[in-house]
Formats: sequence, C-alpha cells, structure tokens
Amino acid sequence: MLLKVLEIRNLSPSAYVLRLDRNGIEFKPGQCANLGLKGSGVNREYSIYSDCGTPWLEFLIKEIPGGLVSKSLRQVAPGQMIEFHGPYGAFVLTHDSSVSIRYTFIGTGTGIAPFHSFALSYPGLQYRLIHGIRDSSEQYDYSDFPRERITSCVSRETGHDFHGRVTHFLSDQDCPAEDRYYLCGNQKMIHEVYDLLRQKGVSGSNIMMEAFF
Amino acid sequence: MKIAISYPPIVNADGQKAMVSQNRNVQFFKKPTYLLPVVHGQAATWLRDMGFEILWDDGNAQLKLFDTWMEDLVRQQPDVVVFESTTPVMKFYWDVVNQLKKQLPGCIVIMTGYHSMRKPEETLENSDTDIVLRSNHVDFTLAKLIPFIAESNGWRDNCPIEGLMIRRGDKDYYDTGDFKQIEPLDLSPDVDRDLVQWKNYAFENGNFLQTPGTYATSVIRDCMFGKCSFCRYNGPDLTFSMRSVTKSLDEYQRLVEDYKVREIFDDSGVWYRGMEARQFAQGILDRGLHRKDCYFGFNTRFGYMEEDTIALLAKANFRFVLIGLEACDQETLDKLSKGYAVEDVIPNLKMYTKYGLFPHLTIMVGYYWQTREQLQKTVDMVKRIMFQGLARTLQVTLCTPLDFTPYHQECLDQGVLQAKDYNDFDMSRLIVDTPIPHDAYYEAIREMYGIAFHPRFISRQLAFLTRPGTTNWKFLFTYGGRAIRRVRQHVFNLTKHQGAATS
Ligand SMILES: Cc1cc2nc3c(=O)[nH]c(=O)nc-3n(C[C@H](O)[C@H](O)[C@H](O)COP(=O)(O)OP(=O)(O)OC[C@H]3O[C@@H](n4cnc5c(N)ncnc54)[C@H](O)[C@@H]3O)c2cc1C
Ligand code: SF4
Repeated sequence: MLLKVLEIRNLSPSAYVLRLDRNGIEFKPGQCANLGLKGSGVNREYSIYSDCGTPWLEFLIKEIPGGLVSKSLRQVAPGQMIEFHGPYGAFVLTHDSSVSIRYTFIGTGTGIAPFHSFALSYPGLQYRLIHGIRDSSEQYDYSDFPRERITSCVSRETGHDFHGRVTHFLSDQDCPAEDRYYLCGNQKMIHEVYDLLRQKGVSGSNIMMEAFF
Repeated sequence: MKIAISYPPIVNADGQKAMVSQNRNVQFFKKPTYLLPVVHGQAATWLRDMGFEILWDDGNAQLKLFDTWMEDLVRQQPDVVVFESTTPVMKFYWDVVNQLKKQLPGCIVIMTGYHSMRKPEETLENSDTDIVLRSNHVDFTLAKLIPFIAESNGWRDNCPIEGLMIRRGDKDYYDTGDFKQIEPLDLSPDVDRDLVQWKNYAFENGNFLQTPGTYATSVIRDCMFGKCSFCRYNGPDLTFSMRSVTKSLDEYQRLVEDYKVREIFDDSGVWYRGMEARQFAQGILDRGLHRKDCYFGFNTRFGYMEEDTIALLAKANFRFVLIGLEACDQETLDKLSKGYAVEDVIPNLKMYTKYGLFPHLTIMVGYYWQTREQLQKTVDMVKRIMFQGLARTLQVTLCTPLDFTPYHQECLDQGVLQAKDYNDFDMSRLIVDTPIPHDAYYEAIREMYGIAFHPRFISRQLAFLTRPGTTNWKFLFTYGGRAIRRVRQHVFNLTKHQGAATS
C-alpha cells in the first residue's frame, strides 16, 4: 500500500525520523514494516518507532553510506507517497498487565527504535534501557524516556553515562533471572549480550532478539 | 564416541522417494533430487574436528534401500544418531527411531527439524527419541551437546545447554529453555565436502544449470526477512544470523579451485542483499572466480535486489536466481505477509533478465481463501511472465500447512485443515477447505506447467538461449529435459488426486 509522507525530521547528519500518515494501520509495538520508494521495486525492513496511539507512523532510520533505501527515503518530500508493507514481526511484548514484569531493553544505534515504541505505547511499563552508541549524535530522542530509565553506553566519547560498549557495562550489572531481556540491533552485540546474560543465570526463554544487520 | 548423521531412504506406496523440495519441504518424486543438508553437514564437520567419529549416513543420496540402510547403521553401532524430520515424514521417523532403539537400546537418538522443534513433547511421546533439538542451529547446539554427553553421566538431569527437550524418564521431559536465536556463523566450519561425499549431491539437482554443482555453506540462517506466513523460517523463535562475506568467498574459492565445481548454489532462505551482495560479487571478480566456468545462484525475494547489485552479480557469473512469487493478487500476498506489491514483480524480473540472470519462480496455489478470481490472476500473470521471457523456469506447488508455521496455525484456528494424519501433508494433495473445488487448483497447476510446451514460450526460450554473444545454447537440453521431467512428475502426482476431492 502507499502511504503519504508527512515529515522528515533530521536527528543527526546520519539519522532521521520518517513520519507517514498512518491510514488506520494497526500494529503492535515492536513490529516492523517494509518501506521503499514508490515504483522502485526495492524495499527494506524498518521497526516502527512511534507510539501506537498517534495518527502517524514513524521510523528511525540511519542513512548508510552507499546504501540505497536508507538514503533514498531521506530524499522524499512531504506529500509524496511511499510503498509500505506490513506491519509484521513477533518482537513484541508478551505483556500480561496482571503480572508485573520488569524489562531490560538493550539496543545499539537505531536498534533503540522498537524500545521507543514500547516506552511510549505502554505508560507505566517497568523497564530500563541500555543504549550502545559510538558518539552522542546517536542519542536519539532521549527526552522521550524518563532520564533514570536510560543508560547511554558511548564507545568513542567520554562524559556520558558509561564510556564503553554495552557488554562492558552489563558485565558488572545485576541481571535478575526473572526479568525479560529484549536485544535489538547488530548481531555481534546481540550474541555477546546473550552469552553474558546466560552466564548471569538468565534463561534463554527470557531473552528475545531482533537483528537489523 | 561415534555419531551418525542419518537420513533413511523413504519410499512411498507409489515407489516415489521423499526429497527435500520447495521451501525445504518434503515431496515424493520418482526422479530424485539430492539436496545437501548444509547445517547438518557443518555439524558433522565441527564434531569431526572436535575428535568425534562421524558417520555421514544419507541413505537417500547413497542410493540404499531401507533395509540395507538400517542393517548398515546397526552394524556401525553408533553412540548417537541424529535425524532430521518435517511434518509429512514425522510418523515415519518415529517408527524408524523405535525400530532402531529396539536394536540399539543404548544409542542416543536426537531428533532435529522444524516440526519437532516446535512440538518436542509430541516426538518424545510418540517415539523413543532421547533428545529433541528445539534450535535451528543444529551445528552450534550439537557442538556443545555431544561433548557434554561424552563427559557427563548425568547429562539427562543437569544439561545446561539451552534449546533442548530431554527424556529423563517415560513421561518425564526436561526442557532446557529457549535456544539462542543468533549465532556467530563464522565460528561454524565450512562443510567438509569429502566427509559428506559431496559428489552424491553434485548431479541430481534440478537447480543446477551445469554439473558438478554444490551447495555453499549458507550465508544467512534462516531468512533475513522471515515474515512469510507459510514459511518455516518465520516464527517468534527465529531471526537471522549472517556469515561474513570473506569467509564465504574463501569457501567459494576452494570449491572452484580445489573441487572444480561448475555451479554453486546458496540455499539460504534469502541470500545477501545490498552492500553484502555487492561486496560478495566484487570479491568473486577480484579473485577471478567468474572466469572459471562456474555459475553461482541463490534464493531471494522480490524487493531485495536493485539494478546496480544485479548488474554486478551478472558480471560475477551469477545465473540461477530462485524467487518466491507465491501468488499474483495483492490480497493473497498481504495475507501471506510477502512484503511486496504485485506491481514490483515485472520490474524486478526485467532487471534480472536484462542482465542475463535466469529467474526461477516458485508459485503456490490452494490457499484456504483462494477464490477462482485470485487463482486466475496468478495463472494469467504467470503466463504473461513466461511468454515475455521474464523468467526461465517455474515450479508450482500446493500450499500445504506444515511445521506449525503461522499459516499452519491459522488453518488450525480457522478449522479449515482437513488432514489429521501427518502422512497426508506431503504436498501431493490439498488438505485444506477451499472456496472452490480442489480440482480447479490442480487444473491451474497443469495449465502453468503446460506453458513449457506452448510454442510462444518455446520460441522465447530458444531466442534467449541462442542469443548471440552468450554461451546459453548449452542449456537447451538442460531446459528441455527439465521441463519434460517437471511436468511429468507433477502430472503423475496430480492425476492421483484430481477428481477425488471437491473442496
Ligand atoms: C527486522 C529489521 C528491522 C530493521 N529496522 C531498522 C530500523 O528501524 N532503522 C534502521 O535504520 N534500519 C533498520 N533495519 C535495517 C534496514 O532494513 C536496512 O538494512 C538499512 O536501512 C540499509 O539498507 P540500504 O538499502 O540503505 O543499504 P544496504 O546496501 O542494504 O546495506 C548497507 C549496509 O548497512 C548495514 N546496516 C543495515 N542497517 C544498519 C543500521 N541500522 N545501522 C548500521 N548499519 C546498518 C548492512 O549490514 C549493510 O552492510 C532493519 C532490518 C531488519 C532486518
Ligand atoms: S522470503 Fe519468505 S518464503 Fe522466502 S525464505 Fe524468507 S520468509 Fe521464507
């Protein structure tokens, strides 16, 4: 289906938020969709970034040097139509509101996108967010999260919550076995964090993952 | 410890052999196709490298009869036997396990495959299987599990390895928790071609344009997209893992230079896309592998490849590209979560054929909602595509709910699944309620296969294959023979059931 572009909001030289008219589309936070330029016949997956209560759909996209879709989507103008397929995917919260579950969300770069949607869609959610980035330009929309819930692990700059990678940060953190852990972003981080959580006694059944690349 | 990775020969009442086919589903065919089970090949290689004795025991590819296969296996006295199954042969496997355990009670039987991984208790209840692997990463899991069993007497009680269901007692099963979805694929070795007797798989494979061909160690496990509802690579328990381009290129180089293969196919659900696809093609060119009379091929989906990438792939001697078309009405594509528009199909195919690649389309009919109009749209568009020369070959199958995929679950939830017996899930007949008689779908399959004999298609095909400046003429017989073989097999299968069922 075709959806109208409402806005492109640049967050950094390499990242932007693409806002589309929602057109009544229902989704579960954590799901993704395939987006592409109209008529190009080429598309890629993007996790939904926005709150499920808004009249638009947003996507947080990193423009990859030499990449086709991430670059071309940044060049569309408001009012233009783009190709949308979905939403789909099972990286969702298996959320039973009668039970209080604590979540740890661990993402790298744009891997924060589904967690942004979780945080905004489920007020009162008990979570902490650990975000692995290279520098502060990747601290996307941090003001949308309560400050105490987010830890920014910055590998190439000092002066932030933690200097280093998420695996280093997590290694001396308490990781309760009964919490649910959601990992999203690049595969290397995901598999390293998984092994770390297992060493800390977390069952594989409490660890969900979504790889972007 | 001796570990057997075993595939028993399976023959049905019509004398057809069970083969792994479209979407790695099992179908019964007279003319064999032998597909190398890549991940199990990696597991065998890895365990051998760790010092275990390996018996690569593919009774099908080794052309054994069932009794000989069983006798040989029992004579070998393995400590562990690993099987791989899927829905239509599940009951057969339970029976095989029980027979084997009678003869070798001390042997540990491990069941792998997408059916049992989603319903492990069922296999433990219906057979004497000891362990069901709930993980698709058979290589990583076995590389942890086998040494643990070798060293620990109490492995049934204290196994710390996730992704298993272990028999502790008669009705006492121990679930070790969900498995790790992403593994660093570069740590798993390339398939040792000698260990798996690669030549057994090098000739009888309809996807090879020239032989000997082989399957590469897959670059993606299982599928980067992984959303199509009928596909076993879709599920909350699955995401994808990717191998590095360099490691894969090193394997291609060895296969071309040391094994002199003339075709390499990568059977990943979908192969690399974008940057990685371009880096791979460039690597082939930089290493000069495109000049060694070897073709390369892969599976992909509509929407993953853009023109620059396709042009580079063509330069690097890629030819065979298998793409799931499934259906040609948007409603069905959306219900299947295919993630592309019908309008994308022709432009995508034009790009592939423009650069001389050979698209092979896989199509399915018989979805439980499929109306006559939707079916006709598929038949008409497939004809248009083939008559315009936008694809070289096609394969049509009956959509069969399998392995507890979302489509399977949907059929159960909607109450449209007619078959109760797993043996009936062999894709030889429709097993769901449909809005029009089943014969209409069988007829549509005949019509689509019939395109191969239409003068318009034949003249298009001849024009393409004899195009000046190419050496495609050498595929004239490959294509002619393949068309006849495919139509014969499918007509044989369909005539068994056409007229037998109405809806
Ligand atoms: C389930 C899923 C959800 C995704 N969600 C998002 C999302 O919310 N936001 C987003 O920006 N991307 C997301 N991606 C990645 C996205 O689909 C594309 O791969 C990416 O935009 C590059 O596409 P391209 O055509 O521009 O470049 P390509 O030529 O296809 O790829 C360029 C290179 O970029 C790497 N790459 C891909 N994504 C990223 C990334 N996010 N950060 C750094 N490197 C990357 C690839 O490995 C590749 O080497 C998701 C991928 C998947 C599978
Ligand atoms: S593209 Fe769809 S059908 Fe093909 S392997 Fe991936 S999930 Fe399966």
